[in-house]
Amino acid sequence: MVIKMVWQKEDKFSYEIFITKYRTIFIFFLILFICLFIRLFCLQIVKGDRYRKISDQQRMHNTYERAPRGIIYSEDNTVLVENKFVFVALFYPFRQGQTLSYKNIEDLNKIFGKDVKFMINMSYKYGKVIKLADNLTLEDMFKIREKKLNLKGISVLRESRRVYCYPEATSHITGYTGEIGADEIEELSRYDYKIGDYIGRGGIEQIYDKYLRGKDGGWQIEMNAMGCQIKEFMYIQPEIGASVYSTINLKLQKVAYEALRGSSTGRGAVIVLDVKTGAVKVLVSCPGFDANKAGTKGFNKYLKDKKLSLFNRTLQALYPPGSVFKIITFVAALELMNVDIEEMVKCDGTFKLGNRNYSCWRRRGHEKVNLFSAMVHSCNVYFYKIGLKLGVKNLSKYAKRFHLGEKMGIDLPNEKKGFVPTPEWKKSKLKMRWLYGDTVILSIGQGALWVTPLQMACMISAVANNGICRKPYIVDRVVSSNGDEMYSHKSDFKERISLSDKTWDFLHKALLEVIENGTGIKSKIPGIKIAGKTGTAQNPQGDDHAWFVSYAPFDNPEIAMAVIIENGGGGGYNAVPIGRKIYETYFNMKSEKSIKQ
Amino acid sequence: MIQSKNFYRRLVSVIDFQLVFFVIGLTFISFVAIYSAGSNYGMSFKYLSVQLLAFSIGLFGFILIANFNYQYYKYLDKFIYILSSLLLISVLIFGSVKRGTKGWFDFGFISFQPVEIAKIMFILSLASFLDRKSKETGKISHLISVFLMLTGHLALIMIQPDLSSTLSYFPVTLILLFVSGVEPFYLFCIVVFGSVAVGLPLLGTFLNMQLQFSQRRIFLIDFMTSLQTGWMGVYVIGVILFLIVIIWYFLCKLKIKIAPIYPIILSASILFGCLSSLAIEKSLKDYQRKRFVVFLNPRFDPRGSGYNVIQSKIAIGSGKFIGKGFKKGTQTQLGFLPEQHTDFIFSVVAEEGGWVWAQITLFFYFFFVWRTFVIAKNARDRYGSLVAMGLATMFMFYIVINIGMVMGMMPATGVPLLFLSYGGSSIFSSLCAVGILCSISMRKYTHT
Repeated sequence: MVIKMVWQKEDKFSYEIFITKYRTIFIFFLILFICLFIRLFCLQIVKGDRYRKISDQQRMHNTYERAPRGIIYSEDNTVLVENKFVFVALFYPFRQGQTLSYKNIEDLNKIFGKDVKFMINMSYKYGKVIKLADNLTLEDMFKIREKKLNLKGISVLRESRRVYCYPEATSHITGYTGEIGADEIEELSRYDYKIGDYIGRGGIEQIYDKYLRGKDGGWQIEMNAMGCQIKEFMYIQPEIGASVYSTINLKLQKVAYEALRGSSTGRGAVIVLDVKTGAVKVLVSCPGFDANKAGTKGFNKYLKDKKLSLFNRTLQALYPPGSVFKIITFVAALELMNVDIEEMVKCDGTFKLGNRNYSCWRRRGHEKVNLFSAMVHSCNVYFYKIGLKLGVKNLSKYAKRFHLGEKMGIDLPNEKKGFVPTPEWKKSKLKMRWLYGDTVILSIGQGALWVTPLQMACMISAVANNGICRKPYIVDRVVSSNGDEMYSHKSDFKERISLSDKTWDFLHKALLEVIENGTGIKSKIPGIKIAGKTGTAQNPQGDDHAWFVSYAPFDNPEIAMAVIIENGGGGGYNAVPIGRKIYETYFNMKSEKSIKQ
Repeated sequence: MIQSKNFYRRLVSVIDFQLVFFVIGLTFISFVAIYSAGSNYGMSFKYLSVQLLAFSIGLFGFILIANFNYQYYKYLDKFIYILSSLLLISVLIFGSVKRGTKGWFDFGFISFQPVEIAKIMFILSLASFLDRKSKETGKISHLISVFLMLTGHLALIMIQPDLSSTLSYFPVTLILLFVSGVEPFYLFCIVVFGSVAVGLPLLGTFLNMQLQFSQRRIFLIDFMTSLQTGWMGVYVIGVILFLIVIIWYFLCKLKIKIAPIYPIILSASILFGCLSSLAIEKSLKDYQRKRFVVFLNPRFDPRGSGYNVIQSKIAIGSGKFIGKGFKKGTQTQLGFLPEQHTDFIFSVVAEEGGWVWAQITLFFYFFFVWRTFVIAKNARDRYGSLVAMGLATMFMFYIVINIGMVMGMMPATGVPLLFLSYGGSSIFSSLCAVGILCSISMRKYTHT
């Protein structure tokens, strides 16, 4: 067979021209194909994961059922915070192809008493589950259940609400809950919060939020392009959060709260610590607030409150300690100066330094006092003299040894550090020289010295414990819904305040005498030996603050307490009776218990 | 009789099997993809059976045409052109309306779009014309008669109106003119003319959509309107023409001799482009303009014109390397992907078959076009080469426009994908075209 190419041979010239153009076109087409190859590779391999994610996002829809938060108990397992269940009506736009009929909407309007047409239309438009009605009554619920057949897409669900059983007395311990903000979701992204979740604010609700939260349940559905549900994936039952067992003694707490409310100004704080463990038995900041109102209009009044109800005074408020600080001056004097305890000093009501007079609280003076009686009667002049001899360095050193100016590390939020002044601080911050007058007033707990009631409670607890300072705590253990212990408190010490036994004994005796015959006589309870110290802190902004720190029983201390009444006047007259009430209740409870046993 | 039997047997033995193999491979992919895409509507079997029927009719046409000597078309060119025009005219009279286009002969169970076959007939007659007038390529009259031929078809199709079907005529005509030896500069001027005429009206729409929320919008829109209606446009055109003259002058100074006819033609094409842009401005419908523009940024309006392309890109991208599996593509099966059995069939392949199958499909297309080129090179006469080149260009146009569209590189037009898309007329006419190619390839040898 002879093969003969026709125009390729006959018309060689034009064939060559053709072939050059042919090559140009072929290369052009090849480039186009390569563009398609690259684009395909780019879409599927390079950006594949991103597009897979988008395709999943647009077909999957999560519907959540919120988990109830965990329950908070007191020391004797009384419920402090629990949940109640309310019924809410939800509308799912995915379960049907078209909007509800006019008649159905009429029915719904009748039951809910409001017009839901707009809400339902919005729900369709954005393909979102919406809440039609909140807090449904049982009657309404049954009405809806009856008509469920012709009200497709409506479902009635249980939703949990937080109930604070003792709204004002325990409000600062429990805190409250609120809807999470968008910025918080971003900040706490690793904890996987969603829009509309509730998060604890203040108190145990905040610090133990991760245990209390529980696991949200819900289901995932697959939607098609029309927004209709195609498949429903596994339903997950929501899991209640873990229970938190606090160390609060509810009865004492209530007594303390009532006592504070009934005090002269109704503002103040009480902290009672277990000396042996550091457990917080009472933590009252007065006035309290009603945490049940959180998220409603009723809560706004607390935000604007002049009495600062939301302010947790036990940890966040800073007061001058006043005469309570004399305990530290007393100890420093015994340890460092070897003072003659019998030496009598005359107090004539004022102490003159340079051209200024520093007065004693009792205008007419105390006649002759020694260290012991100066403590018992809280003679300022004696302590001015001692403080001046000790010097500011020793005073602030001892204040810091008693853990003033540092956080106590309680498991509640927003604890304040307080402040212990030093000459260096005054020089660098205020650009002023430290004066002897500053030392004088520091020795009786005034000046730029700021403490929280919690610090005072820890200080007196350390005194009762001969220097062992336990870290205060409020949550003993956290137990999950299936009984596993998720957290339990491990006792933790702060640095021990090491002083000689002689000093401790002498201090204890002096503090006992304060209650027996001194300024704290009003809390004397027959049969029970209480040791303590009163204080009247001068306040440049207003009336004096009334302090009372104490522990009991004297021989084997169990509880230590700090009481402050803001602008309450003299400590001995105002703060001490509150302490007395708490002790009475405490020892009554104890004797009742022993009788029962 | 025996002689002719031997003749046919021999023809079959020299058929281009590679070409046929790629066509059958693509058709097989098409059946699987259409079955999967149809299951969303519950129409798998209907679509598949219609496609199979069209394929068998097309196969019949293929065998018939492959055995018919293509060289006869060369002498029948006038007849073919008139026949195709008659087809287009009769569809305007007897045809039925689908999606706003009067371009279908409805036979009840199957409908036929004569435009598809008219395109091939146009290639046959144009190639014949260019082959005969190969010595007159330098003449303007030659170009004018070619464009008159083109305009005849385009006008008939535009009356339907079917914008996307007219598009493939332009590259086919340009490439055939280029191959047949027309000065590339003239073609360049034609392209300039065309892009000015069509581009200007679209630019306005584009700016309008692109800068919807932008500050600069007001200024640019004002500028555009003043270009189109006020004296501003005249000034701008004047400046451009002046620049052309200046450049030409300097090139002359630099001893690069360019005949003065070139700048004059270029200027004239720009001038006429501007004039005709005014006419097109008035004739284009708003939605047609938008469709062209949307491909530049499909995110203009996710539920509007750009929605299809976005969903298609998601479908292709989410297929990743090995795909989601047959009938398991979520974009396809949940109906997110629009027009999934017709225009967006490639997205179905890419989603369910992954990169592997999408790339195989692309390779099949590449080899198919490559075989067409080989046939053009080895054709027995100049006419055969021209026809093969024309068909290759048409195929290439379909592939690039459709696959480019589903991947978001090209404007969203209603161009079906060769061999893959559901549609009887498309597959029938494509198989007829393959038949012509086979006819050319089988006769590349001559017997002595």
